[in-house]
Amino acid sequence: MSALDTTTATVAVVFGGPSPEHDVSILTGLQVARTLVGADRDVVGLYWSKTGEWFRVPPTLEAADFLDGVPRQAEPVRLALGTGGGFAEVAGRLGRARPVAVDVAVNCCHGGPGEDGSLQGALDLAGVSYTGPGAAAAALGMDKLAFAGVVADAGLPVLPRRLLGPADTEVGFPGPYIVKPRFGGSSLGIDVVEDRATAVARLDANPHLRRGAVVEPYRPDLYDLNIAVRVWPEPSLSAIERPLRSTDSGEILGYADKYVGGEGMASAPRQLPADLPEAVAAGLRSAALEIARLTDIRGVARIDFLSDGAGWFVNEVNTVPGSLARYLWVDPPLAFIDLLDAMIGEALARPTWRPSASGADGAVLRSAGGIAAKLG
Amino acid sequence: MTIAGTVTVAACSVATALAGIRWLRVAQREHYIAGSVSRFALRWWRRGPGSVAGAAAALAGAVVAWRWPLGGLATAVVVAAGPPGLGLRGRTSALAWTRRLRTLAAVWVGFVAAAVVLAAVTGAGPPVAAAVAVGVPVLVDLACAVTGPFERLMVRSYVSRARERLGRVAPTVVAITGSYGKTSTKGYVAHLVAGSRTVVASPASFNNRAGLARAVNENLAEGTEVFVAEMGTYGPGEIAELCSWLIPDVSVITAVGPVHLERFGSEERILEAKAEILEAARSAVVNVDDPRLAALADRTEAEGRRVRRVSGSDAGADVSVRTGDGGLILFVDGAEVARLPPGAQPGNVACAVAAALEVGVPLEEIARRVATLPTAPHRLTAGTGTGGFLVLDDTYNANPAGAGAALRALESMAPPSARRVVVTPGMVELGPRQAEENARFAAAVATTADDLVVVGRTNRRALLAGARTAVGGGTAGGGGTSGGTLRCVVVGRRDQAVAWVRDHLGAGDIVLYENDLPDHYP
Repeated sequence: MSALDTTTATVAVVFGGPSPEHDVSILTGLQVARTLVGADRDVVGLYWSKTGEWFRVPPTLEAADFLDGVPRQAEPVRLALGTGGGFAEVAGRLGRARPVAVDVAVNCCHGGPGEDGSLQGALDLAGVSYTGPGAAAAALGMDKLAFAGVVADAGLPVLPRRLLGPADTEVGFPGPYIVKPRFGGSSLGIDVVEDRATAVARLDANPHLRRGAVVEPYRPDLYDLNIAVRVWPEPSLSAIERPLRSTDSGEILGYADKYVGGEGMASAPRQLPADLPEAVAAGLRSAALEIARLTDIRGVARIDFLSDGAGWFVNEVNTVPGSLARYLWVDPPLAFIDLLDAMIGEALARPTWRPSASGADGAVLRSAGGIAAKLG
Repeated sequence: MTIAGTVTVAACSVATALAGIRWLRVAQREHYIAGSVSRFALRWWRRGPGSVAGAAAALAGAVVAWRWPLGGLATAVVVAAGPPGLGLRGRTSALAWTRRLRTLAAVWVGFVAAAVVLAAVTGAGPPVAAAVAVGVPVLVDLACAVTGPFERLMVRSYVSRARERLGRVAPTVVAITGSYGKTSTKGYVAHLVAGSRTVVASPASFNNRAGLARAVNENLAEGTEVFVAEMGTYGPGEIAELCSWLIPDVSVITAVGPVHLERFGSEERILEAKAEILEAARSAVVNVDDPRLAALADRTEAEGRRVRRVSGSDAGADVSVRTGDGGLILFVDGAEVARLPPGAQPGNVACAVAAALEVGVPLEEIARRVATLPTAPHRLTAGTGTGGFLVLDDTYNANPAGAGAALRALESMAPPSARRVVVTPGMVELGPRQAEENARFAAAVATTADDLVVVGRTNRRALLAGARTAVGGGTAGGGGTSGGTLRCVVVGRRDQAVAWVRDHLGAGDIVLYENDLPDHYP
């Protein structure tokens, strides 16, 4: 057993990625990297470009360094799978490709392959420990249809949510509707429509709905309530947040409300802690802990609810939330470095993937006979 | 070496290093074209009596140093101080240590080192050190010439990667060129398409071979359906080369005008170079407000290709934007489609709408999205300054047509009895027509404004001459009302002009900032 702990581990901050939330992820990644550098940790920046290439970057860059694309200071690296896998420099004409030493990767990729399980799968196969959800939990959290099913099955309140396809002639509940991408992290691509026909028309027109769409009733009386949850070192919950719309005209909390014009979600307008009836707050807290268990949360997740002030519904889970939801931990206050330390400690102690070949002892092969005989 | 010799060599080395930073920055601003640095050095050192005297002292010092080593100190002092006005750190454009600049700097240092070795071998330390200090711009040009082939090789590898990525992602490509209006049009197209297709636009300044290859490699993510590429050209054949690997489906020409005339020679050759973009595309969008482009549209159609004619005024075009009661109105095939937000540029919007239609965006979607068109910063935006006066900002990329439009905007927006001021360093890169175009602009200013603030020396003579002829002649063409009382103010730098404006304008007045030259121009 190595003597690694959260203060001695070499931490790679992984951010960017081929995702609509690439830019938001850069903000999260740079905040995390800056915080770790400030605590004298050994930090490597690993930037995943929009076109899927990997680069090592200094952890002290500014957002502006990414304005034109890959920053000047970036050096290309590769992610290799298998034994001896991990991040390594791209071999030059002279010399070998030296590995980039990484003990734990802090995953800051939102909305796309960093939050849907695909990056997680690659890191598992490469033997790199990482923070946040494992592949299966990430994939579940990214699929709004499957997630709603799991939550409803556990008896928690959710709004009706149906798959919407071009041939669907009936939704099953009356409009108006919210049409959302089935897979996708934030509010990008969300439309409010009056009727089914318009909803189906949006499938073709809205590029975010190409991979599938879900439809639910639009309830203008509902507002968002968010809470962050983690299970390490023990299950704990943040304060409950009520995000506020920057403009009255917006029908739903939009992407621009959340992310444009500041340091990501940490500077969006909000009421924190939200002023709520105790019954609602208690309901949200116990539901959040139950969802953390149901979806196998790792790291920190933000669970979004909808409420009219009396009743409430589970909306969705963000398994790699913007700014890692650091701004929600106000009561009791939790410093960002302490949140990160807990995530890094969990990544070192709780593997995401335990492949096992036990049981594959050759018995099946011995009794198999010829393959041709099996085909016959 | 004597003590005097050692001191001289040391001083000249420091001066050489400082001059290196200055002229490497100019090389970067001038696209690393060999020869441009020496040309700018001549401009700077001939800028005024002080500069000329300094240059003479530096040269004399280098000559004298053959006999008296300490003479080289004069050279060192002048070269270290540099031409007055050309700072070490840029105001508009700081030195960026890109890989290309690092390569260039290394080669330049190599040349300097070779000269030092030569000096040591021949024993002529002080005079050689002084000559190197004087010759820094020439050595930077030489380094540009030597690194050129290597850079082209590097770009070739970027391009082959870009070609491969384009093949894999297979987006519909909209290519936009034009002497002006490219960047706005690109932004408009991206905005119109974004509601119904995943779209990526090339970043602002990435409009040449290396830049577009980089834009593809770094921004063309998997799943991108439309790629909007801005194509610039500094010479014939460049756009044809771009289109050989970044093959456009829809090509757009926004305008032709005397931009980069000094590299092309004539406007006919500019037109030919822009027309290269139409060769490969399945459909062409051409702004026919310019008769030469109208003729090009006819020729292209006669060759059997699909052409969409657009206009910022003419209702007969396929897509047009016209000024109607109190605002801009978009027409497609003669029918009114939507009203445009104030500040949208008619010709460019028309180009973008036609391109979006060619990409397959439904007309209703376009009508919905034109209402929220982004208006780019520094493209004739209006605001109110701290002194309560109106500020028209047209500081980005001025050309004669744009400058004329800005003056008309000044006229229409000026409150009654406002004092009207135009601040400008004039326009550059107009080749043999530069003096003439600037003089003509100053004459037009005389008919619209009360004060002309001339910034810097680059176009000072032409602007003042133009203003004088207009005021002296009394009748300036163009139909404006000539007050005949234009006052001219001459300042060295932009910040002095801003201070002058703050001191002299009050509430109800108006100022137009027309063009801003990068600070490597004298």
